[in-house]
Amino acid sequence: MISRPESQHRWAGESGHLLSAHAQSAAEHSFLRRPAITLLSPDTPIAATPVQPRTRGTVTLSAKRLGPRSVIDGLRQSGSYKALFPRTGDMLQSILINTSGGVTGGDRLALEAGVGVGAALSLTTQAAERAYRSLDGSPGQVCSRITVGDEALLHWLPQELILYEGCALRRTLEIDLTLSSRLLMVEPVIFGRVAMGEVVTSGAFHDDITVRRAGRQLYRDATRLSGDITARLARPAVASGAKAMASLLFVDPRAEALLPRIRDMMPETGGASLLAADVLTLRLLAEDSHALRQHLLPVLDLLSDDTLPVSWRL
Amino acid sequence: MVMDGPILMPIDPRLLTLTQWLSPAYPTGAFVWSHGLEQAVAERWVRDGNSLYDWLFDVLCDGSGRGEAIWIARAFEAEGDEALCAIDAEARAFAPSRERLREAERQGAAFARVTREVWELDLPDLLMPVALGRAAKLVDLPLDTTITLYLQSFCCNLVSAAQRLMPLGQTEAQAVLARLSPICGQTAEEARGGALWSNAFLSDIAAMKHETLEPRLFQS
Repeated sequence: MISRPESQHRWAGESGHLLSAHAQSAAEHSFLRRPAITLLSPDTPIAATPVQPRTRGTVTLSAKRLGPRSVIDGLRQSGSYKALFPRTGDMLQSILINTSGGVTGGDRLALEAGVGVGAALSLTTQAAERAYRSLDGSPGQVCSRITVGDEALLHWLPQELILYEGCALRRTLEIDLTLSSRLLMVEPVIFGRVAMGEVVTSGAFHDDITVRRAGRQLYRDATRLSGDITARLARPAVASGAKAMASLLFVDPRAEALLPRIRDMMPETGGASLLAADVLTLRLLAEDSHALRQHLLPVLDLLSDDTLPVSWRL
Repeated sequence: MVMDGPILMPIDPRLLTLTQWLSPAYPTGAFVWSHGLEQAVAERWVRDGNSLYDWLFDVLCDGSGRGEAIWIARAFEAEGDEALCAIDAEARAFAPSRERLREAERQGAAFARVTREVWELDLPDLLMPVALGRAAKLVDLPLDTTITLYLQSFCCNLVSAAQRLMPLGQTEAQAVLARLSPICGQTAEEARGGALWSNAFLSDIAAMKHETLEPRLFQS
């Protein structure tokens, strides 16, 4: 008899039962405790239970076209969210860094970005982002909003998000395109590192992606995994035991022409489809992060015209 | 008071309307769509009664079955044409693949065409679950019953598809359907006000891969 998955997705902080006392004390002694580089904000609640420092960080960034190149138009950063700009080609490359070393309960990271008319911006991360155990079960929040102007190009290419035991993460990504914008977006997620024997038997992961074009919804994707995520992923129509997943969206006039080549790069557990003549979507499952990259890198090389950020190669 | 024989409960005539709409004989062409199941059988992810039950259980609890239940509820509760069109547009944006979108589009258009003609309803062409939710509202059907019976007919169609795709006896097929019935009811109960999400990644991947499956019986 198969039990029905939880229909209600509550944060542990709301239900109060997800984290046992044993699990909490184990976490105190675990290497997963975050490093000391964190910011205490005035709204950090005072709690009798172990206090987890709350990270705050905001990056506001815009790119503009200057001659053949794309350059920084505006940049503001605060807290533990930073942007670096390695010198590269005509496309403006930006590497986002969460200096707190991961996301835990109560953290807030926010990105606001704009790509001006005719400009090209590539956003990635320095390394994999880590969603660590939330000691009180409250969610960490990562919100990204990007607007892409006419004839402008956005590459949204973060490296993997790794979910750890006890994680609580609520993530939103909103991208606004115009009729002449182009987009390459990927979101890779690792549900516990297989090589380290990690599983996620308790956790909560809410992920929402919205892409609009000229104000109309073009692509929506929402994932809700909570409780025993590893067991849920073992279900046959969910992931059949895969521990790594990537979702990709490509909005470009070449989408239809490139679809057959993309399909040929997919393993048994990957698929690609055209939602419109210039809108290609792809979903890929793999046993671990290594296998995921093996299938994903050639796809990203092709769709990014070989401009994949260097940090992806390290 | 002494009565002779069984008491006949009058059947709500609206229920007869609903069962007519959701009957396999209603000309929505449901039988040509497998919702990616044909690919899942080709991959041997679905190969017998038990694996079929497990697959459809996930589709109902984590995937598009649950999603369609919510679209029916949202369309049912939509105030005015503008809200209804916004729901249809959002449902389209959530479609995971081209064939899934076409499946909902073609069935919805066929359903709307016949239903507005016969019942004289103001029902535009919409995706199938959105069209059904609107039609149910227009003839004052109970929402929970509409969703439950829709999910059962959705499963019934996919179990029939499985019988054409793999060795699955009539009795076992009906046993799978009977086991899924309570899940249809539970999913329907939770649909009103439910958040939209889908975790049935492999079901969606199967639907994508079906686009290049050769040879094939179904259009999805």
